[in-house]
Amino acid sequence: METLLGIVGKDYTLLAADAVSARSIVVMKRGEDKSRPLNDHNLMVFTGEPGDAVNFAEFIQANLKLYEIRNATPLSTKAIASYTRRELADSLRSRNSYAVNLLIGGVDPKTKTPELYWMDYLGAMVKVNHGAHGYAAYFCSSVFDRHWKADMSLDEGIALLQKCLHELRTRLVVNQSVFIVKVVDSNGIREIQV
Amino acid sequence: MDYNGAAIVAMKGKNCVAIASDRRFGVQAQTVSTNFKKIFEVHPQLYYGLGGLATDVLTLSEIFEYKLSMYKLREGRDISPKTFANLAASTLYERRFGPWFVEPVIAGLEKDGTPFVCGMDLIGALNFATDFIVSGTAKEQLYGMAESLWEPDLGPEDLFEIISQTLLNAQDRDALSGWGGVVTVITPEGATTRYLKSRMD
Amino acid sequence: MGSRRYDSRTTIFSPEGRLYQVEYAMEAISHAGTALGVLATDGVVLAAEKRTASKLLEQSVGAEKVYLLSDTTCTAVAGLTSDANTLVTYARQQAARYRTTYGESMPVEQLVQRMCDLKQGYTQFGGLRPFGVSFVYAGYDTHRGFQLYTSDPSGNYAGWRANCIGANSTNAQSILKSDYKDEITLSEAVSLAVKVLSKTMDSATITSEKIEFATLSLDKSGRVRFHSYSPEEIEGLLKKEGVNTQQPEEEK
Repeated sequence: METLLGIVGKDYTLLAADAVSARSIVVMKRGEDKSRPLNDHNLMVFTGEPGDAVNFAEFIQANLKLYEIRNATPLSTKAIASYTRRELADSLRSRNSYAVNLLIGGVDPKTKTPELYWMDYLGAMVKVNHGAHGYAAYFCSSVFDRHWKADMSLDEGIALLQKCLHELRTRLVVNQSVFIVKVVDSNGIREIQV
Repeated sequence: MDYNGAAIVAMKGKNCVAIASDRRFGVQAQTVSTNFKKIFEVHPQLYYGLGGLATDVLTLSEIFEYKLSMYKLREGRDISPKTFANLAASTLYERRFGPWFVEPVIAGLEKDGTPFVCGMDLIGALNFATDFIVSGTAKEQLYGMAESLWEPDLGPEDLFEIISQTLLNAQDRDALSGWGGVVTVITPEGATTRYLKSRMD
Repeated sequence: MGSRRYDSRTTIFSPEGRLYQVEYAMEAISHAGTALGVLATDGVVLAAEKRTASKLLEQSVGAEKVYLLSDTTCTAVAGLTSDANTLVTYARQQAARYRTTYGESMPVEQLVQRMCDLKQGYTQFGGLRPFGVSFVYAGYDTHRGFQLYTSDPSGNYAGWRANCIGANSTNAQSILKSDYKDEITLSEAVSLAVKVLSKTMDSATITSEKIEFATLSLDKSGRVRFHSYSPEEIEGLLKKEGVNTQQPEEEK
């Protein structure tokens, strides 16, 4: 029932997650932030069993922070994604595995190249221009295929995201009223209202 | 084995070998990406393909990368196809009772130029073929195409044509694989990789 | 000998605050074949002196002083070769593991740091002796470009523009200090390395059997290229630099 969306633009990545925390048929909270910044230019959005997902995201966040303190160099988006994938893949074959689906978006602050990685709870990972998790994938993948193009400006990216959200609100039985949307670009990570 | 989908095939020719795969990455019926790497280079005379569960394709390619780099540094030379086949098989058998869900396909030329293709099941039972090897969800379709198109002693250009037709027509009859293809032909002079356009539905 | 009471174990400080076993290890290295590195703007050069004991000795297939650690790092050793082998294998494992985890090459300083963490452990935990080897590392990464480091048995390491370890290293260092210039190119660095090596080696004539030479540079596509000089290339280099001119061949 949870939704994650990601779009790569000209010099930014746009990530969106629904802000609903639900247990069974009951909405427990609106305004839940299902994202964690991994460093100044990389952001992870995630879904999964709430305890698991938050714990995993913060585990990755803490380990990457530790890496930066130890080595005084930040990791690239690709390195962050590879590391996270390895943790998920190793976890899959342990006694208690994490059931977390996620998107990792980031921008290289020097080259301003944006990247987006799609990853599922098994540890399957692929670099994409646009990605979706959850039921939203059934509705939004076609919207992305039709309307996504390379080098979109931020306004175009937001417009594309709005098309997706509109589609979800009209066609998905579950009404996800609130979304948290974040932009990652060379200036860092910021939340925007869509 | 049927979760992500793949079509991988390797064929012997005359003084050459070829290996080909589709490019789809999907989760059951839902396609997520159409540029997923399933064929990996060891060195210009040796390639391998991994068909099966995508997470294990990635993990296993990383494990092989580790073992191969250690091998190359220790021995100071490139690994031979036959040695790599045994390395891959024992790597898979290490997980005999909790296997990687992957069936590798190996294609390369031995140092004297002898073509080599081989496949194995998910726990490393080797199959040294004299003609071709297939793997992935389109395995049956690939067998059908390869059985009817392949013939001995094909040259590099003919082999490219035969393996491409085998791949494209097999993956068109499999819902879980397709969405583009990639073919690598290995000759003593080196390897050439070409991308194929295909039906995207 | 005042040191006797404090040098039986590696982990015990002497009253003057010294670790004798570690100092002895460094002393052992100061008698070993020289190894040196010079950092240039477009690459790094490593050179080392081989101490071949006998003419009857089979020349080993691989190198014995300069080792490749990964696609982007290599090292020259001075000290016990057997200890070096263990550490080189360890470094290769660390570099390869980093690559599989992060999908990128290991930054050079991190690799050096890993090696030194291991070396340091042997100066602190009892019952074992320290590794009797020093290293000169050459490497490239996207963060800091080409780099040169040295490490010693205590686990200390530092980055350099040019440095030397092993026999006559103080001598070599002073030549490097006076002759090194900023903005040095790789070919100039190679010449400098040959010059330093020829002046610090004990033997009168230098032949390709007595030295090893390797460079690290970027090729046209921006990939790191490791080049280990063949005996013919070393002879050519020695001739070009005019190292053996004052010593005619027949005197050998």
